[in-house]
Amino acid sequence: MKKTYRILPVYTGDVSGAASALYEFGGMTVIHDPSGCNSTYNTHDETRWFDKESLIYISGLNDIDAITGNDDKFISDICAAAERMKPRFIALANSPLPYLNGTDFKGICRVLEEKTGLPCFYVNTNAMHDYSMGQSEAFLSFAKKMLQSPEKKIPNGVNIIGMTPLDLTSTKIELSGYETVSNWGLNTSYDEAVRAAEAELNIAVSSSGIAACKYMEEEYGIPYIKGLPWEGKPSDYMDVERKPSVNFIVGEPVISGSIAAYIKIKTGIDYNVIATTEITDGLLLKCDRKCHGEEELEEALKEADNIIADPMVRLISPPNANFIELPHFALSGRLYLKKIPDLLKPGLYYPGI
Amino acid sequence: MPTSSDERVRIGDAEFPKPFVNGLEFNAPVHGTWNIVHIGFRIPEAHQIYICADNCLRGVVMTAAEMGELGRFSSVVLEEDDMTHSGRIEETTIEGVTDCLRKLAKIPPVVIVFPVCVHRFMGCDIGYIYKELEKRFPDVIFIRGFMDPVMQKRGTTPDQRLRKAMSDIIPKLPVKEDTVAFAGSDMPASENDFKKILEFNSKTVKDTADCRTLEEYLSTGEASLFICQYPAGLMAAKAITQRLDRKYIYCPLSFDFDTVEEEIRQSGLSVPDGFFEDGKEACIAEMKKLKDLIKDTPVAIDYTAVPKPLSLARFLKDNGINVTTVYLDAVDGSEKADFEYLQKNFPELILHSTMHVSDRRPVRSNENVLAVGQKAAWFEGTGNFVNMIEGGGFYGFSGICEFIRLMEDAFNNSKDMRDIVPRKGLGCRSCI
Repeated sequence: MKKTYRILPVYTGDVSGAASALYEFGGMTVIHDPSGCNSTYNTHDETRWFDKESLIYISGLNDIDAITGNDDKFISDICAAAERMKPRFIALANSPLPYLNGTDFKGICRVLEEKTGLPCFYVNTNAMHDYSMGQSEAFLSFAKKMLQSPEKKIPNGVNIIGMTPLDLTSTKIELSGYETVSNWGLNTSYDEAVRAAEAELNIAVSSSGIAACKYMEEEYGIPYIKGLPWEGKPSDYMDVERKPSVNFIVGEPVISGSIAAYIKIKTGIDYNVIATTEITDGLLLKCDRKCHGEEELEEALKEADNIIADPMVRLISPPNANFIELPHFALSGRLYLKKIPDLLKPGLYYPGI
Repeated sequence: MPTSSDERVRIGDAEFPKPFVNGLEFNAPVHGTWNIVHIGFRIPEAHQIYICADNCLRGVVMTAAEMGELGRFSSVVLEEDDMTHSGRIEETTIEGVTDCLRKLAKIPPVVIVFPVCVHRFMGCDIGYIYKELEKRFPDVIFIRGFMDPVMQKRGTTPDQRLRKAMSDIIPKLPVKEDTVAFAGSDMPASENDFKKILEFNSKTVKDTADCRTLEEYLSTGEASLFICQYPAGLMAAKAITQRLDRKYIYCPLSFDFDTVEEEIRQSGLSVPDGFFEDGKEACIAEMKKLKDLIKDTPVAIDYTAVPKPLSLARFLKDNGINVTTVYLDAVDGSEKADFEYLQKNFPELILHSTMHVSDRRPVRSNENVLAVGQKAAWFEGTGNFVNMIEGGGFYGFSGICEFIRLMEDAFNNSKDMRDIVPRKGLGCRSCI
């Protein structure tokens, strides 16, 4: 049964993804939820609490307010918090119960804008998707609400889009001849993020950056490429041809695809991507595939010779396959936090290249 | 007297039992307290199955993973189609739990099933689910858990109900008058006067928080007396003693000598000669040592460390300790007398909310603070803290003495707060 998990954890959920994406953007993210989402995000899906503050809260929804659809308390609590904490914007994230009772978040945003004078937007989550969907929605919603046509362009200015601690640990991207305008959203700030439209190129470093990149392409004419920029220049991992093989990289498709491309270029060895996160449209080569859930992934790995994946995937991998550990915070969380390599330095995680 | 809309209030100005206005909630990155996963694993050999949406599942599955207990944990993911098709949520729950159990190498004897908030809101037929599961797995004892935090603001919390559900499987065994069981707590009884007195009375002592086998856990059904020392376990203690027709004593860690003496006397157990006098003297002597050591160092207490934080604050204040702040969000009804005492005698004592929006930017002084509890440590930014939850299994004069010694130790030896407080479930294995 695809919906059951015997031994693997699920990926970080969409609500946490939304909060992670907006963490450093200077706003106030409010999750309309009783309690669980906040605790989960706080504990397992976020690493920055001790070093950087962020205004992330829950509404503390109770059963009566959920049943009666009472939004008044939600609105007045947000207004009070905004008055006190002075955020640059307000973002609202959904969770299962408000999703079920059809809470009108867009309407609430309009009311909040009127009452607080702050930009307010809705991030379309419901806790039933993975973090890449939540991050993608958050970046896209932020772009739609907060970006404006730039007065000037920065020559060779580049945005890094789709970067959070859920996928990546480092922002040390060295692009010769380019100037980084903004990073969405690690080691960044509100002032940096809202300048994004001044860039001339976007680089989507994960699947959660694609939607915002597409939006900026349509709205501001900024082209984008996808993939981790190694060796000083932006490059699209999908330009590197790979053939079907029994070597697999399991994980998020843009990062996994970039690693596969890099290995192919450096060694000539073909690795196929098994994408286990949700956003995959246009991100996989023909030799790659998508897997949903533990059962499907276990089946897909049955014939594997070499596997590059989070250490937890070893639990469902064939014992005779060669397994190279590549911890992924959005899967194994804090268990392998200290072993997560800097993905911008590929030599660290794929020995022998 | 108005409830404060600020994150802090003088106790002299505070309202009982809710000193603070409800609003958006902050969650401090402090996780030593137990959640329903930790509690459920207290039953040896029990397997836990959660049926919920991705984001909700993540927290519990990672709790199990960080405990190294994924082998005793399975999950069923709810998706949109489970919400929109009539009868689908029951089907997914039944078939999901069935699939989880059939994938295990061996069917476990006890399975704790956790439906969630959406099961309630969809009017899911929970009774039918268990009827069907019990038909499919007649040898399995199913425990009816629930992970529904939406209910906790106005009624019982999921962990209170889980403790009760866990006690519901303890059978009514022939009573053994010489057997007494601690029940309802997460912390096994440790420095605990009741434990000592029970030994003095030659009683056989069992503890639901410290069972090695399922058989041992179920054998608590032969106890003649149950002792509950943690507020969240009281509902379970009442239910099991009513069902088994036994007695219970409820006595959470108190720092009031008269309360301790009264509770022990009411138990009807024999006490050694001079027990109360010696106990009080030892506490007073230990407290004097503490005062000489820490002098006027500010002390902050939080509600996760002990079940009665205001009782502790009162005890320390009465003995000249400079308690400046108590971190809590509400005052338990059992602490009303302590609240009023402190309000009258120490009105400057600060009550500080742990989830107010402004707590996201805590204002920390440069003064060295001695903290009691992980949250107090985080808010005060100190490594000098007593690392304890739920009273640590302490009770009585021996418990108070040991508690004071822990304060002395915390004052003398700084801990790595940043490493310790993010770890979940103090006392459980942590693989991070």
